[in-house]
Amino acid sequence: MSLRRILAVTRKEVIQIWRDPLSLMIILLLPLIQLLIFGYGVNVDVKHIPLCVYDRDDSQTSQDLLKRFQNTEYFNIVHLSDSYRDVVRQIDYGACTVAVVVPPQFAEKLHSQGQASVQALLDASDANTASIGMSYALSIVQSYSSQTQIDWRERHGLAAAAPNVTFQPRTWFNEDLESRATIVPGVVAMVMAVVGAFLTSLTIAREWERGTMEQLISTPVGKLEIQIGKLAPYFVIGMADTAGCSAVAVRWLDIPFRGSWTVLFACSALFLVVVLSVGYLISVIAKSQLGACQMAMLATFLPTFLLSGFLFPIDQMPVVVQWITLLLPPRYYVFILRNIFLKGTAVRLMAGQLTALAIIAVVLITLATRAFHKRLE
Amino acid sequence: MGFLQSIRRVGQMLRKEFIQTLRDPHTRFLLFGPPIVQMFVFGYAATLEVKHVGLAVLDLDNTQESRELLSRFSASRYFDIKKYVARRDALREGIDRGDFLMALEIDSGFAQRLRNGQGASVQVLVDASNSNTALVGLGYLSQVGAQFAGDYEADPSGDGRRAAPQLAPFLPRVELETRPWFNEGLNSQWFFVPGVIGNVLMIMVMMLTAFAVVREREIGTLEQIMVTPIRRWEFILGKTVPFFLIGCFDATMISLIGTLWFGVPLRGKVAVLALGLMTYMLAALGFGLLLSTLSATQQQAMIASFFFIMPMITLSGFGNPISSMPLFLQKLSYVNPVTYAMVVLRGVFLKGVGFEVLWPSIAAMTAIGVLLLGFSVLRFHKSLE
Amino acid sequence: MTESEPSVVVDNLTKRFGSFVAVDRISFQAHRGEIFGFLGPNGAGKSTTIRVLCGLLRPTSGRAQVAGINVVREPEAVRQQIGYMSQKFSLYNDLKVIENLRFFAGLYSVPGKVLPERLAWALHMAGLEGREQAPTGALPVGWKQRLALGCAVLHRPPILFLDEPTSGVDPVSRRHFWELIHQMVAEGITVFVTTHYMDEAEYCNRLVLIDRGRIVAMGTPTELKSQHMKGQLLLVECEPLGPGLEALREAPGVLDAAVFGSSLHAVVADAQTAMPGVREALESRGLKVGRLEQIQPSLEDVFVSLTRWQPEERV
Repeated sequence: MSLRRILAVTRKEVIQIWRDPLSLMIILLLPLIQLLIFGYGVNVDVKHIPLCVYDRDDSQTSQDLLKRFQNTEYFNIVHLSDSYRDVVRQIDYGACTVAVVVPPQFAEKLHSQGQASVQALLDASDANTASIGMSYALSIVQSYSSQTQIDWRERHGLAAAAPNVTFQPRTWFNEDLESRATIVPGVVAMVMAVVGAFLTSLTIAREWERGTMEQLISTPVGKLEIQIGKLAPYFVIGMADTAGCSAVAVRWLDIPFRGSWTVLFACSALFLVVVLSVGYLISVIAKSQLGACQMAMLATFLPTFLLSGFLFPIDQMPVVVQWITLLLPPRYYVFILRNIFLKGTAVRLMAGQLTALAIIAVVLITLATRAFHKRLE
Repeated sequence: MGFLQSIRRVGQMLRKEFIQTLRDPHTRFLLFGPPIVQMFVFGYAATLEVKHVGLAVLDLDNTQESRELLSRFSASRYFDIKKYVARRDALREGIDRGDFLMALEIDSGFAQRLRNGQGASVQVLVDASNSNTALVGLGYLSQVGAQFAGDYEADPSGDGRRAAPQLAPFLPRVELETRPWFNEGLNSQWFFVPGVIGNVLMIMVMMLTAFAVVREREIGTLEQIMVTPIRRWEFILGKTVPFFLIGCFDATMISLIGTLWFGVPLRGKVAVLALGLMTYMLAALGFGLLLSTLSATQQQAMIASFFFIMPMITLSGFGNPISSMPLFLQKLSYVNPVTYAMVVLRGVFLKGVGFEVLWPSIAAMTAIGVLLLGFSVLRFHKSLE
Repeated sequence: MTESEPSVVVDNLTKRFGSFVAVDRISFQAHRGEIFGFLGPNGAGKSTTIRVLCGLLRPTSGRAQVAGINVVREPEAVRQQIGYMSQKFSLYNDLKVIENLRFFAGLYSVPGKVLPERLAWALHMAGLEGREQAPTGALPVGWKQRLALGCAVLHRPPILFLDEPTSGVDPVSRRHFWELIHQMVAEGITVFVTTHYMDEAEYCNRLVLIDRGRIVAMGTPTELKSQHMKGQLLLVECEPLGPGLEALREAPGVLDAAVFGSSLHAVVADAQTAMPGVREALESRGLKVGRLEQIQPSLEDVFVSLTRWQPEERV
């Protein structure tokens, strides 16, 4: 293996990257923009759910109840309806996701019969928001119900307390239960996976398409030398992206960082090697750039977005799907990142994940080297 | 006569595009692969519902009451008791390692306090690194707790263990009846699958269109075409119509899979759906074309497409509601065609609403499409630059 | 590779692509310091042969040896010993001239000490001195080809493989290019070149004529012209040309006739005896006859005649 030849290949690759400033700019900016979008835009803590209210009782009691809906940040009262038809319209048009309907004689029933009910209509076309909205509404009504009971006890001269079981949560790692802290470390993983694989997936295919590959392989440069030489610049770019994104995450988005930066970079380097190898493999297999691009989409973006655990928790997926995720490098990296950012745990607790990544890296590199032939057919 | 010639030239362009697209095994695969894969992955993997929350328990009380409480958890489908531990540090280590999400610690005065009519509290360690799961899990916890307390109080077999008289039947109670509309089972798949149609169409149509033009430029065949009498709009039409048709094909395929396999209902009119999707594709084509005028190489086209597609999908309300985004991003969603597509798709599939409700979205997409297409046509010069 | 050993040895080489036989059992040898030409129409198998010799394709059967190395078994080992210029221009258009040169210098491990001198030489040879910073994509075709040649010889390989190096290049640049080749040959480099330009074939020391995967003739240009021409050649000027060709073909003693530029060439068994018959055949049809004389066959004539003969008649 000749360092000279590797450097020659790297130099050429760098010149070509540099000469395409548009791509370069996007490569460096894209991760940051994604980070900000996810940091600010994607909020799986659903709040400010648009709520519509139809109070057919209009009593002090119903007003008390509805005030609780008003005072919470989970709901946003956007409309007061005066007819059932209006409620239907609001939901149909998507103006509100939840509608609370207080039936007539609500207060009366409660005082005389001791039992009353309230209706919540939900636009469940967004099943997630609907079920979260449902549980918020449920907890609001439950707490109102408890309060009613406490008041009743007081009025009847009884001890206010009643046997009850409460839970004292101590939340670890993400005390404010901010979904941002959950998602952002994952975004770093996603961005790296995509940038790393996307970019490199074009590199070999492009030379084939343009015809320069023939000349290249007629020279003494070896397969591995080509591989290392071509991937080196993208490795550097990837690490720069990681550093940039992590810095933005911590400084700007206030994501906690409890681990060590050294560990972060070491693990990221490993993951980058994996991702770059994926891209390279794709580039070798797909003879055209279009093909390479679409393969990269399928093989990196989609799995990372959906199956890495960054947005949708893996332990909630069907078992078969969970097994499939065992093959996906981003899954391990997301776990590692969350560990480093939020838990600050020791490396030994991530040993399994790191080993998995290392094995995958070796397999991919071998495959890529095997698949690439210094021949024309 | 001139018009006839135009039609002929467009026809030739179309023919060439189709032959190229269908002959290339990669593109052929593209027609089916990504849409189907996305469908199934989203259908099965993507869920924000929380079930089977992993629990570990440390019961220092070991009374009938504490065991009764724990049995509620093991019986609940929302929880999965993974481990019964004997020491506190086992709890901490397990959470650190990610073995379970929550750890309950029932201390030794639990039953006593219940019998005295006092409130008993249970310590819970929560791994909140996934905040959504943690939040929902806590919600379930409190529901189980409330249920347990209520039942405990109402239990007529109270054998004098409790100090307070039986009041339960007289206590007032307010209950909530919930009526989920359009998706009674709160089925995650019903939520995602229509959205996937929108995603896939945007990705496919936009990317393929952008690539198509740039590819010719990069390979050099563009020069040969420009030299012929073909007009700008004829060329563009020839380049975009095939992807429009491919988009229609994919949309139909996904809709069929969605309805037949996943059982997503189609409650609205197919005509409205078709109209909505066609205007959506118009916008996607426009976008793709615009990108192609900005990119010199296929790599640039790819990166640029990706640069736009990601945020467009993320901020469209596909996975999480727009109402919970900051105001600035909500405003942005007005110019995002994917947002409108989501409204139309969910509206027709799940809500069954018709044109009178959806026309603003359709109009918006048409406007965006026309704007982008017009702009691209103007930008596109019959030269090699 | 010793002094006496041939640079390139090909023995019964066959290359099949599926059911299509591109190269069919060809054998030849090229010697040190000679310009060895591979002449034939498009699709004859020239490029395929060169690519096999460079290790870019694996032959279906047969033996190929370059610089004493068995190419089939050790394709990598050959690469440092050869320079290759592919048919399609394949340098990096988005790199500058000097960047392309440096890149290939790096790949061929040109020693640092001699690098500046080699680069300067390559630039001079290509006529690109002062234009090192020019983007390669902006160069006219002739310059690109010369640059590609420069990139192929920076490491001073003993053997050079050029696949149609002057296709698409103007005649002046072509001439210049061949001067460069002669210079290199003078320094002892073996040049193996494929071409479909018959006039370039005259520059070669030895030639192989190849058609549809088979060798049709082999030898020096002179040998080919004198030994392989079946019969003698007549130059016939007449007007109009089209009917003249028909008439000629039916004329007595004419074995074959073809259009050559603005006149006709007729292959006859014996020129003297055939001439009167030819003149009569043309004039009897009312065609005006201009010049009618015997000429020496060019390589093109040789080639046409060889490829039109029945297969049994071939070498």
